[in-house]
Amino acid sequence: MKVLCAREKLREGLALANSVIPSKSPKAVLTNVCLIASGDMLELVGTDLDVSLRFRITEQVKVIEAGTVVVSARVLHDFVRDFAGETVELDTREQNCVIKSGEDSAELVTADADEFPVVAPFDDAGAFSLQAGTFTSLVNKTAFAAAREQGRYAMHGVLVEIGDGLLKMVATDGRRLALAHAPMDTASGTKPQKASIVPTRGTQLFSRVMSDPLDQVKLTFTEAQVGVKTRNAEVFARLLEGEFPRYAAVIPAESKNYCEADASLLERKIRLVANVTGDEARAVRFSLSPGRLELSGHSAGRGEAHAFLQVEYKGTDAEIAFNPDYVVDGLKNSESGIVKLEFNEKTSPGKFLLGENYIYIVMPITIDA
Amino acid sequence: MPPLDTQAQRGRPAIAQLPELVKNQIAAGEVIERPASVVKELVENALDAGASRIHLDLEEGGVQLVRIVDDGGGIPPEEIPLAFASHATSKLSQVADLDHIATLGFRGEALASIASVARCRLFSRQRGALLGAAVEIEGGALGEVRESGGPEGTRIEVRDLFYNTPARRRFLKTTATELGRCLDIVQRLALAQPGVGFVVTHDGRRAFEVEPSMDLRARVRRTFGAELADALVPVEAADGDTRLSGFVAPPRFSRNDTTRQMWFLNGRPLRDRILSRVLKDAYRGFVVDGRQTVAFLSLAMDPARVDVNVHPAKAEVRFRDERRVFGFLVGSLRAAVQSMDLATPGERLIERLEQRGELTPRQATLPAPAWEREPRPVPSFRDEAPRALPVFVREAPAAPSAPVAPTEGAQKPEEIRGPLLQVGRTYILRAVDDGFEIVDQHALHERLTLELLKDELARGGIEVQRRLVPELVEVGGAAAQLIEPHLESLARIGLVLARFGTGTIAVQGVPARFRHPDPSTLVHEVIAAIERSGSTPGAEELLEEILHRTACRSSVMAGDELSEIEMRALLARARGNDSSQTCAHGRPTRVRFTLADLERAFYRR
Repeated sequence: MKVLCAREKLREGLALANSVIPSKSPKAVLTNVCLIASGDMLELVGTDLDVSLRFRITEQVKVIEAGTVVVSARVLHDFVRDFAGETVELDTREQNCVIKSGEDSAELVTADADEFPVVAPFDDAGAFSLQAGTFTSLVNKTAFAAAREQGRYAMHGVLVEIGDGLLKMVATDGRRLALAHAPMDTASGTKPQKASIVPTRGTQLFSRVMSDPLDQVKLTFTEAQVGVKTRNAEVFARLLEGEFPRYAAVIPAESKNYCEADASLLERKIRLVANVTGDEARAVRFSLSPGRLELSGHSAGRGEAHAFLQVEYKGTDAEIAFNPDYVVDGLKNSESGIVKLEFNEKTSPGKFLLGENYIYIVMPITIDA
Repeated sequence: MPPLDTQAQRGRPAIAQLPELVKNQIAAGEVIERPASVVKELVENALDAGASRIHLDLEEGGVQLVRIVDDGGGIPPEEIPLAFASHATSKLSQVADLDHIATLGFRGEALASIASVARCRLFSRQRGALLGAAVEIEGGALGEVRESGGPEGTRIEVRDLFYNTPARRRFLKTTATELGRCLDIVQRLALAQPGVGFVVTHDGRRAFEVEPSMDLRARVRRTFGAELADALVPVEAADGDTRLSGFVAPPRFSRNDTTRQMWFLNGRPLRDRILSRVLKDAYRGFVVDGRQTVAFLSLAMDPARVDVNVHPAKAEVRFRDERRVFGFLVGSLRAAVQSMDLATPGERLIERLEQRGELTPRQATLPAPAWEREPRPVPSFRDEAPRALPVFVREAPAAPSAPVAPTEGAQKPEEIRGPLLQVGRTYILRAVDDGFEIVDQHALHERLTLELLKDELARGGIEVQRRLVPELVEVGGAAAQLIEPHLESLARIGLVLARFGTGTIAVQGVPARFRHPDPSTLVHEVIAAIERSGSTPGAEELLEEILHRTACRSSVMAGDELSEIEMRALLARARGNDSSQTCAHGRPTRVRFTLADLERAFYRR
C-alpha cells in the first residue's frame, strides 16, 4: 500500500477513529486502526466491538498502490498531528509502515491485518432516510437523561422508536425522563423488530459524524445493531439488551397545577439558588402562588437562598422540590422561550413541556414523606 | 391389674445427708474446673490478704503442683482449721455484708473445694508473729496444725489435682493449654492490680514477671508487646463516685476474639456482656463488623452499686443502675476513640513491604548474634513522646449528654494546601507537616456521606429523590416479610420501599445525597442489616447500621477520577469531622508516612 494524503484530513479522520478505538484492550489488535486504500479513497476502520466506525477520505488523497495496513491508532495519530508538512505519505515495507511528511519520517510496527475484526459495510436496503439535524436534535434533547451509574443496563442508552411518521427518542435514569419526537418518512425503510436501545456512546458518535445538519443521512436497524451512514462515515452500534422502563405510564395525562414561565429566566434563577445547595444538598423548592414562583434552597454548610419570578399561574398555593441540576439539564435544551410545568402532588412527577414535541419528566425530592 | 413396676418396689436407696467430702467435691465441680481455677482462687485470696508480691510455681501446667507464696497478712494458727471448712471466710460475716463486697472472694468455698480434690499443704505466719503454723490436708481430711518457722505471709501448695476424681482429670488438656490458662488468669489479675508484683515459674523456668512498681501501660507492654502498649490511648473519666480509667487501643489492633478486652471492676477481672457492648458501641463505625477491639479498663465504684454475687466464677456482675453506667461508659470511651490518631502508620506498611521482600531492611544485613536470645525489637522511629492525655470528666448530675470535648490532645485540623495527586483513581496523596498522607477517597467519602445523612436526619428529615418507575428487587418471600414491619422507619432515613407481591420489594425513593444509588444492592444491605440485628432491633441502632451500609454503597467509588478541585473539596469537608478517620465500615481512610518513615525506607537512618 502506498498513499499520499493531506495531513489535516488524515488527522481529522484519525481523531474521530480514536474516539472509538480503545487505548487499552484485552484484545490488543483493537487498539489499532485499519487503513484500507482502494480506488481513489483511503478508509479508516476502528472498533471496540460495541461501536464501530468506517471513515472515508475521498478528497486530497491519492492512492498510488492499493492495500491494507493495521497500525497503532494512537501512535499514528500522534505522528500525523506533530508532523510539519502539508501532506503525509504512508508506505508499507515488509512488516512495517513508513510514514513521511516533508523531511521527517517514522517507521511503525504493523499488526496482522487478518486479525482485525471485519466491520461489515452499511447496507442501504431497508434503511430510512432523514435529515441529520432531525436526528442530532433528538439526541441532544434526550441522551443527557440516560443513566450513567451502574444498575439497569437498559437505561444506559436512548430508546429509539420509529412509526406513524415519527422518529421518537426516550432516555431515563429512573429519576428523570426525556422524550422527544420529530416527523420522519417512516415508509422509506424497514422498522426494527423490537425496541432499539442505542447506547449513549453510540448516540454521541452518531451526532459527531453528522456534522452538517442539512445533510441527508441513512439509518438502519438489524436484530443486534443500529447503523448510520453519512456522506463520508458509517457508524454502527450494538443495541443494548434488556427491558426499557414502560415510560408511557409515568407521563401524567392531566395535572392539577399548571404554570408557565420564561425558560431562560427560570434557568438563571434556579442556578442562582443552586449556589447555596451545592453538590451535596440537592433540593430546590418551587413554591407557587398566583402569578408568582418562589425558588428556595438551603444547606447546612452554606446557608439559604430565595429567588422570585413572575409566572403564569392560577391555582391554589402549591409546592414541589427538585434536584436543580436535573431541571437545568432540561431547560438548557428548551426550544421555546416559554416553559410549562405541570404537577399534581409534591410526591408526584413534575412534567416540563420544553417544546412542541418535547416532554421532560423530573421526579421530585421529598422530605420525610 | 398387674403390679406397677416402680422404683420403690425395686428397692429405692434411702435419702441421706451427703458426707462432707462429697459435698465439697460437688461444690468443687462448680468452682475448681482445672489448674487455672486453683490459681485464680489462690491468687485472689493472696490479693485479699493484702499481698504486694505474689510468687507462683507451677509444675505440669499446674496439675502436678500449684504453689503460691505471698507476703500478705497471714492467718493466725487457731483459724487455720477453719480456713478449710466450707462457707468459712473472713471476708464477710452477715447478710448485709453481701451488699458491699469489696474483696475478690467472699463465699468461703475455695479452700474447702480445692482441699477436697487435691493434696494440700499450708504454711502461714501472721505479720508480726514470731512463729507460723503449717498443716496438711488430703482429700478433705485435715491433719494436725503444727508450729513452724518461715517468712511472713502465706504459702499454699496444691499437688496432684483431681487425684481422687479421675473423671475430672481426664478432661484436662495438654500441659501447654493448662499452663496458658493459668498464665491468662495471672496476667489478667496482674493488669487488674497495678501495685502488686507477680512472678510465675513453670517447671522451674520463669514464665511471667511484673514488678510491683510497673504501671498498667508497662504491664501491657510486658504482657502483649510494645507496639500495642505504645499505641494505647488513656481514658480517664468520672461520674459521681464511679471512676473509669485505663487505656483503649486504636482500631487497627482489633482481633477476632475478646481476649484482649479486659474490664476490671474494683480490681476484679470481668467478662461481662454489657461491658462488651459498651466497647462495641464506643467503637461503632470505627471498627469493621465482627472485629473485637482491644481495651484495658478499670472501673471503680461503690460496691453497694453493683452485685457481684450472680455468677459462680464471679465473671459477671449486675449493675444497680445499668442504664446510667452504660451511658457514662459509652460516652467517655467514644470521646477517647474519636480523639485517636487512626491513620495506620506508614512504618507498619514498610514492615509489611519488608516481609514481602520488596524492601530489604538494613539490619537484615547484620544478623543477630546467636547468643542474643530475645528477638531484637524492631526499632521504631515514630514520635516517641508520650501522647497528651485527653481527660474527660463529667460531673455527677450530668445526664447522657454529649461528652465534654477534650481539653487537650485533640488534633488541630491541618490546612488543605499543596498539590494533590490521585493514584489509581482510588487514592489521594498529599503532603502534611511531617510527611505525607494517602487518603482512600472511597472510604473518606463514605464516611462523610454517612455523617451528612445523620446530620440531615437530626435536622428533621432526609431528602429523598423519588423514582419515576419503582425499581423492583426480587428478594424472596421471607426477606420481604422481614422488611415489611420496618418500612415506616426506613422511610425516615430516606429509603422509600414498598412490598410488591410476595417476594419483591419496590424501591420508590432513595436519599438524594446518594451518588451511586443501586436499588438492588441497597435493598440487600437493608435485609442483611435487619437479619444481623436479630429479633429485637432497637430502631435507632438498626437505622444507623443501615445508614452505614447504604452510605458505603452510594459513595464516590474507587475508580472515579476526581479533579483537583473535587479532591480538595473532599479533603476540606473531611477536615474537622471527628469520625472521618475510618470509613463507615471501620477501615482506615488514611495512611500516613512520616519523614522518619521515609528516612528509614531510604536507609538514611
